[in-house]
This record gives sequence, structure tokens and C-alpha cells, in this order.
Amino acid sequence: MPKLSLMFEDKIVKVVPVGSRPVTIGRAPDNDLPVDNLAVSNYHAKIYFEAGRMVVEDLDSLNGTFVNDLRVERATLHDGDNVHIGKHKIRVDTSGEAPVPWDTGRKTAAPRIDETMVLDTKERRQMLQQAAAMGESMQFAGARMKVPTLVVLNGQTDQKEYVLANRLTVIGKSPLATVRLKGWFKPQMAAQINQRDDGYYLGPGDKVPKINGTSISGPVRLNDGDVIEVSRVRLNFIFRG
Amino acid sequence: MRIVSGGVTDMGRVRTNNEDCYRIVEPLNLFVLSDGMGGEAHGEVASAMAVETVVKHCLDAEANPAATFISSVQPSWSAQTKRLATAVHLANENIFKSAEEHPEQHGMGATMTAAWIAGAKLSIAHVGDSRAYLLRGGSLLQLTRDHSLVAEQVRRGILTAAEAEQSDMQSVLLRALGAQEEIEVDAEEHTLFPRDVLLLCSDGLTRVVTEPEIAGTLQAETEPARAAEKLVELANERGGPDNITVVIVRLEKDSKGWFSWLRGGTRKNPGSNGSVGGN
Repeated sequence: MPKLSLMFEDKIVKVVPVGSRPVTIGRAPDNDLPVDNLAVSNYHAKIYFEAGRMVVEDLDSLNGTFVNDLRVERATLHDGDNVHIGKHKIRVDTSGEAPVPWDTGRKTAAPRIDETMVLDTKERRQMLQQAAAMGESMQFAGARMKVPTLVVLNGQTDQKEYVLANRLTVIGKSPLATVRLKGWFKPQMAAQINQRDDGYYLGPGDKVPKINGTSISGPVRLNDGDVIEVSRVRLNFIFRG
Repeated sequence: MRIVSGGVTDMGRVRTNNEDCYRIVEPLNLFVLSDGMGGEAHGEVASAMAVETVVKHCLDAEANPAATFISSVQPSWSAQTKRLATAVHLANENIFKSAEEHPEQHGMGATMTAAWIAGAKLSIAHVGDSRAYLLRGGSLLQLTRDHSLVAEQVRRGILTAAEAEQSDMQSVLLRALGAQEEIEVDAEEHTLFPRDVLLLCSDGLTRVVTEPEIAGTLQAETEPARAAEKLVELANERGGPDNITVVIVRLEKDSKGWFSWLRGGTRKNPGSNGSVGGN
């Protein structure tokens, strides 16, 4: 039977078969593949068989579902595809017999066009912003979280983009840091970003960071679009707070 | 990371009894603080019961990790966070039951701020208006949210922070252990870094000592017990209107790095003499 392997940092966390029932993915514990991360919506996506093809459908998640790095609303999956949700990856294995459709009734529902989209970083950023803004305007407070994002403009870091899912974020060389700096002579903790009641604040660590070119003297509240500069890394803070 | 800690509790200058209570459980790196309330001596009973219940549950759980979690623990939390949240729920149950069984204890209650450090992971469980702060890179950050009426009014924009400080409603709590059979416990997890300083305190400190003063004291005095004493002294100089309790936990690097021998003894590091630590 076809199966899905939930992976985190190249380790398999859980494997589930895809049978006649849809496999649900999300932060809520009652999902078939629960993903334990604040960047993941409670009910983030589902994967099921339709007309003999395996399909992934994003359930209006805040931070999106990506198939092989392309953000999708809905897409057909092929053997070996990787579905990215937050920091987790789901590896698709379609070998084996496809199951018999479990509910022929659903096929009579209005046919949907595959809405696969190709997004460059800028468009993706705008989408994340729109999603964040939408998440805010919708009143399902528990189901949607507004989370800011750091986009790396230049410098050596372990990722190109960071979702600030925790209240405390550290930028530094430390393996415990959220934004990990690479290279020689980088401080363990260069700077920090902390969520307070009224927003996100950038504060110094071993270095004094700059916001939009100006050095800070203490914690300073970050605004959407601010450029943070520390230890030769420039980060764009994206948050429609 | 190496952990050094110290705590002080003081009656203050106005009260005639101390309803605050704290415990440092060094082998577990567990730090528990509670501020009791209630007539006669019952505030003391409540805060002691709160602290003892939390400490006992955490110690028992170390011996028996399979002990059940109660109430709404989130599956994403670490074992320590689940345990701590469960312990605070149990403390609430114990105080509530005791007050039901002993009519003279009716109305007693307590705050609870508990911190448990396992590796680099800090778990916090919290109810009431005692606080946990983190000093990192010179910035002081309040980790807990006060469950008081004025704090909620500030969050909703009804009061300004300045108005809240002047309010005579400061003692009104929205949540306290023992007030109701069921309680909502705030629990959080954070990653700790070397040189972080964690501070737990009762409102006897924060009513009269400002956050910049707290940050300054923690930076100037690196020995936890002495820094706690200094903060208590400062609160007493300002009139000591309430009981004052301060617990300070410092995280230090295990080793000073491969070049530490180059620096020899030039580095001022009072924490390295081995004699410091909690009581």
C-alpha cells in the first residue's frame, strides 16, 4: 500500500499508509500525522486518493504546504515527492496498489483545478504576508497564529528563511540558536528577538545589531519590513502585526 | 551548562508574617515560588502547600516517570513541562480541598511560579501575579503574564502601564491556586543559553523595584544569593509594603573554552569558587 513518511531533519518520525481514508496533517493531536511545531496550523493539510492519484490539499494553512519547494493549494503527488510543512518533510511513496475509492460520492463534487503555483522568494514573502494578514482578520484565534518571518538578505546562515514560532529567538553561532550563523569568529549569541505583549523586540547579544542602518542601544520594537544587520548577516523582518 | 542559584524571602517592613514561600531543589534544578493569601495564618498554609505539592510531585515523577499527567497538558510539551503543569494542577486541588474541609481556611489561595531546567530547556508553569524574568544580553524580559485585573486591563488597552501602577486594584487576582476546583495553568518552554539569568519573584519586589533596577542589580552582583539579598534590601528601602521573595538562577558555561588558560585568573568570575549555590 502507498505510504507517507513524516521526517524531521532526515529522521523518520512516523510512517502511515494511505488507504481509502484521507491522511490529515497538523498540529492538533487528533491528526493522522501530528506535527509538533507552532509554524504548523492545527489542521494544516490532507493527503488522499482521488481517481487513482494521490493528492495533497492545503487546508488554508497559515504558512503553506510545499511540494518539492513549490507552494501548493492542491497538487497531485508522485513517487519520491517531498511535501514540506513547517520544518517537517513528508516523503511520498506511491509504490503498491492504490486503494479503492472510499466514497464515490465525493467524486461528483465540483471538479477542482490544480492550483499549483510557482513562486519566487518575493512572491512567496508577499503570500506569507497576505496569509498573516488574513489570519489576523479571521476570528479563529486558536486555529491560526500570526507569526513573523525573518528572510535572509545576505550572509551565511543555516536557512534562508525563519518563522519566529517561539517567543524568544536567538541569532548566533550556538547550536541552540534559532537563526544559526555560519563562519569563523561569529559570536554564540549575536543578538536576540523577543516577543513582548506589544510586539517583537530586537535586543543586543554579544554584538550590537543595527536596524535599518542605525545601531540600537537597548531593545527596540521591530516593524514590518525592518532590516536587521548583525555579524555580517542582513535579515528582513516580515510581520503584519 | 553549570547552574548556580540562590534565594531570599523576607517579611518586608509592614506585614507581621511571611506568606511567601520558595524552594530550590538543586538535584532537579527545580525552582518553586508561591505567595499566599487568606486571613489569619492561612496564606502561609496555602503557599507552603502549593510549594510542597509541586516539589513532591516533581521528585516523585523523577522516580516514577509513568505517573499520569492530569488536565490539559499539550502533547508538544516536554516531559518536564507536562510534569510541572500537572504539579500545579495538583497544588490547586490540594489547596481547594483543604479549604473545603477546614472552614477556617475558606478563601485561602496562593500564586505559583515554578521553573524547571533540564539541559538547555526551561519549563515554566505559572498562576497568579508572581513573576519569572529572563535577563539575556542585558535585556530583561518578563516571561510570565500576571493574572491580575490591572495587568489584564493594560493588555486590553483599558489602562496604561502608569495608571496600573497607581491603581488600588493591584491586589485583585484573576487566577490563584485554591480559588476554584479547576484552574487554567500557563505553561511555556524556552531554550536557555550560557550567561542567561532567571529570576523568580513575588509582587513584593516588583511593586516597588523597577525592571531597570532589577536588571542593573543582576548585572552588578553575579553571586545569586547576594543579588537576591540586594533586591530585597532595595524593596525594604522603598517601604517593604509586602513580603518579598527573590530566587535567582544563573547559567554558566561548563568550561571556559580552549583558550581559558591564556587568560588565567584575570577573568573576574565569582561563580567559579565552588562555594556558591542555593540553600
